[in-house]
Amino acid sequence: MTQTPPEGILCSKSHEWMLEEGDLVKIGLTDYAVEQLGDIVFVELPEVGAEFSKGEVFATIESVKAASEIYMPVSGKVVEVNEELINAPELVNEDVWGKGWLIKVESNSLQEDTLGLLEYEDYQEEVS
Amino acid sequence: MTNKTPLYDEHIKLGAKMVEFGGWDMPIQYSSILKEHENTRKNVGIFDVSHMGQVFVSGKDALNFLQKIVPQDVKKFSENHAHYCQLPNLEGGLIDDLIIYKLKEKYLIIVNASRQEVDYDWFLENAKGFDVKLENKSNELSMIALQGPKAYKLLALCGIEEDLQPEFFTISKAKLFDLDVLIARTGYTGEDGFEIILENSSAPFVWQKLIELGKDFEIMPVGLGARDTLRLEAALCLYGSDIDEKTTPLEADLGWSVPKDKVEDYNGKELIMAQKLGKAPLRKKLFAFEMQDRIIARHGAEVYIDGISSGVVTSGSISPTLGKNIGLCLISFDKLSENLATSLNTKEKSIGMDIQIMVRNKLYNAKIVKKPFVEKKYKK
Repeated sequence: MTQTPPEGILCSKSHEWMLEEGDLVKIGLTDYAVEQLGDIVFVELPEVGAEFSKGEVFATIESVKAASEIYMPVSGKVVEVNEELINAPELVNEDVWGKGWLIKVESNSLQEDTLGLLEYEDYQEEVS
Repeated sequence: MTNKTPLYDEHIKLGAKMVEFGGWDMPIQYSSILKEHENTRKNVGIFDVSHMGQVFVSGKDALNFLQKIVPQDVKKFSENHAHYCQLPNLEGGLIDDLIIYKLKEKYLIIVNASRQEVDYDWFLENAKGFDVKLENKSNELSMIALQGPKAYKLLALCGIEEDLQPEFFTISKAKLFDLDVLIARTGYTGEDGFEIILENSSAPFVWQKLIELGKDFEIMPVGLGARDTLRLEAALCLYGSDIDEKTTPLEADLGWSVPKDKVEDYNGKELIMAQKLGKAPLRKKLFAFEMQDRIIARHGAEVYIDGISSGVVTSGSISPTLGKNIGLCLISFDKLSENLATSLNTKEKSIGMDIQIMVRNKLYNAKIVKKPFVEKKYKK
């Protein structure tokens, strides 16, 4: 994985990333997590409208090897899920910061929730 | 402490991701499980299977000893042939599954990595009273598998012409790059291919040469991840997942490999033969299933029939060849109605039967299907 993440990305220690886009927060899996998982073959995403707290499981990602639970880096209400992943889960492998995004949420508690999230460089150090 | 095969450094050089498997530090993947899988089906894959054990059996009573420890009729084995065998305990449960090669003056048993010690102890215990010599060469020998439709072409390019290559399920001595090796036309993928048994010290050189010469055939190194999906598509059992000490050969649906006319006594014969002859009911049976819903049911997932929890998934994954999710499950008959149990025990009736599998607290639909999932392409 050689792609560089977009500016402003914050990562959780459980290997999710978040990026503010206007009023919404886009959430995905980090390059490190995807590298560890290997080929992703199935993505189970939540319903639009579902609400999750920070740290709650919101999705399950199946690689050939195993199923992995994905945790909310921030609290929020799901407003959009990446439906392209239903038929093309490999997008998560191919474009982790772009087409491989998982969900977009509305969050009212960003300020406190982002405390403890890491900037990409610090995250890289954490997992290296 | 995990063991390392003599090819450990080669795996690291190739950028493999390593995992612990059966006490061994093994590559799970080099590039991508899916790519390694597909390339083995299409071209040729090279596998380090040095974690598997090799035990040679010789001496006056070698035959009698083997007759006692496997249900197969070893006196009918012909020279240079490979035989799929099981190692039952006294109750008929499986201590391991094995390949036994009959060589000129001895037998070679291939045992699973995780079972090396247990098996060898069992061999020693059973060898009492026999004039037999057991040589555990697991720490001296390596094994490299070449699997896929182009494996035979690669071997020809390495100087072993097609007409000199062993036939399906046989083994022969050969000179490979001027080294003495044993080459068997066996494997664990459902593809045509070879397993090369050689001295540890030669393994890195042979591995490198095979990869170098294999470039013409688009060779890829293959890790345990794809080895697992390949063997699952071929519906080959994995010891410890699909079969164990509580499952008999018949319950593991390996009845085809058990002769009904073996005269000699062997460990577990009473139950195994009673089940083979239909005189004792199977307590459970291993079935192949295909998911109807889009979900992967993995090892340990609960299986439901008619709303009754009646079994467990023993292996489950995606089938890269079929693009479906497949698996094996062990269904216990004790909780099911007699009707259902009878249907399940009748091959024609069991195929197509609906089952449900619990994944993350939700039931998903699956169907029992015939084995294997993907037809084997052995060159017979």
